[in-house]
Amino acid sequence: MIFTEYTTALKVREAVVLKILIIIPAFNEEGSIERVVNDLTERFPQYDYLVVNDGSTDGTKDICNGNGYHVVNLIVNMGIGGAVQTGYRYAVNNRYDITVQIDGDGQHDVSYLEEMIRLIEDGRADIVIGSRFLGTEGFQSTRLRRTGIVFLSMLGKILTGVRVRDITSGYRVVNSKFIHIFAQDYPADYPEPEAMVIAAVHGGRILEYPVVMRERKTGESSITIKKSVYYMCKVTLAMIIRRISFGIRRQK
Amino acid sequence: MIPVTLRITLIFAVISYFVFILYYLKNKMLELKYTLIWLAAGLVMIVLIAFPELLMTFVAFFGIESNMNGLYILVLAFIIMTLMTLTSIVSRQNLKIRILVQELSILEKRIRELENGE
Repeated sequence: MIFTEYTTALKVREAVVLKILIIIPAFNEEGSIERVVNDLTERFPQYDYLVVNDGSTDGTKDICNGNGYHVVNLIVNMGIGGAVQTGYRYAVNNRYDITVQIDGDGQHDVSYLEEMIRLIEDGRADIVIGSRFLGTEGFQSTRLRRTGIVFLSMLGKILTGVRVRDITSGYRVVNSKFIHIFAQDYPADYPEPEAMVIAAVHGGRILEYPVVMRERKTGESSITIKKSVYYMCKVTLAMIIRRISFGIRRQK
Repeated sequence: MIPVTLRITLIFAVISYFVFILYYLKNKMLELKYTLIWLAAGLVMIVLIAFPELLMTFVAFFGIESNMNGLYILVLAFIIMTLMTLTSIVSRQNLKIRILVQELSILEKRIRELENGE
């Protein structure tokens, strides 16, 4: 009697597999979204995925609906942060344990997924960020952008004590605690560095995992040179204000 | 001292200002809680027109050169306050719209799946 109870308990425990969701924000990615989703479903049929079509004006929506992809079509364009947050909300609603976010343009190689997810499963980190700067291979971005990233990375270190070298990387694996935090509070535009500060002030253990990134094949980067000055000002301020507001709240 | 003609003009201006706000409120073109700061500004104006000595004291206290300048500074302060209130209202609404769009779009996916019998 006790023995059967024990074995059923064991079986139940085995049946508890962590639910994993891959969030793919996509804005005007008609040229790459099929490749990204097909690549993912062929290699990792065990993971669920969700395309968040951020009010694209091209054929992204038709492609996703036509192929029967799991897609949330945002009825208006919300910016990358709003799209990613939709994924986190969806993950909360559907009780996912781990989420991965990868870009819809195909620059993130999913070969690293299992190892990055294992770091979370083993409880060694709360957030794993795919970092192209831990190695020197693959697409390393332009010199100007790298300088900007180094600056933001140092700022993050000063503000939180955590050094994330590829602080603008949108390749992130997040555990259940931070799924809930990000579902409630995620920056709207240019969210990655600010989200890192949010994670750090909530006591998240952030690990970087070396990945090789590809240069995007289609579509355009969301950050043009014209916008980069605005980007740096906005992100710097946002990170500082995040840190300050948490500092005040903590003293209560 | 504020000239009498100016005081009369100001009284008419403030009265029409209140009439406008009340008209918009009556026709539900403005929500009361967003007009509170406008009404408060109007009240201060009335008090200052009725008792110009208060303006004198205010002007003297801050070492402002002339009465009219004091009036301008007051008006400017109210405009800035109103703008800040508006920005904060816009930001709060932005947050609400964001949640609305996200939840609505997630629901749309759910409905699509139910219709396809998944």
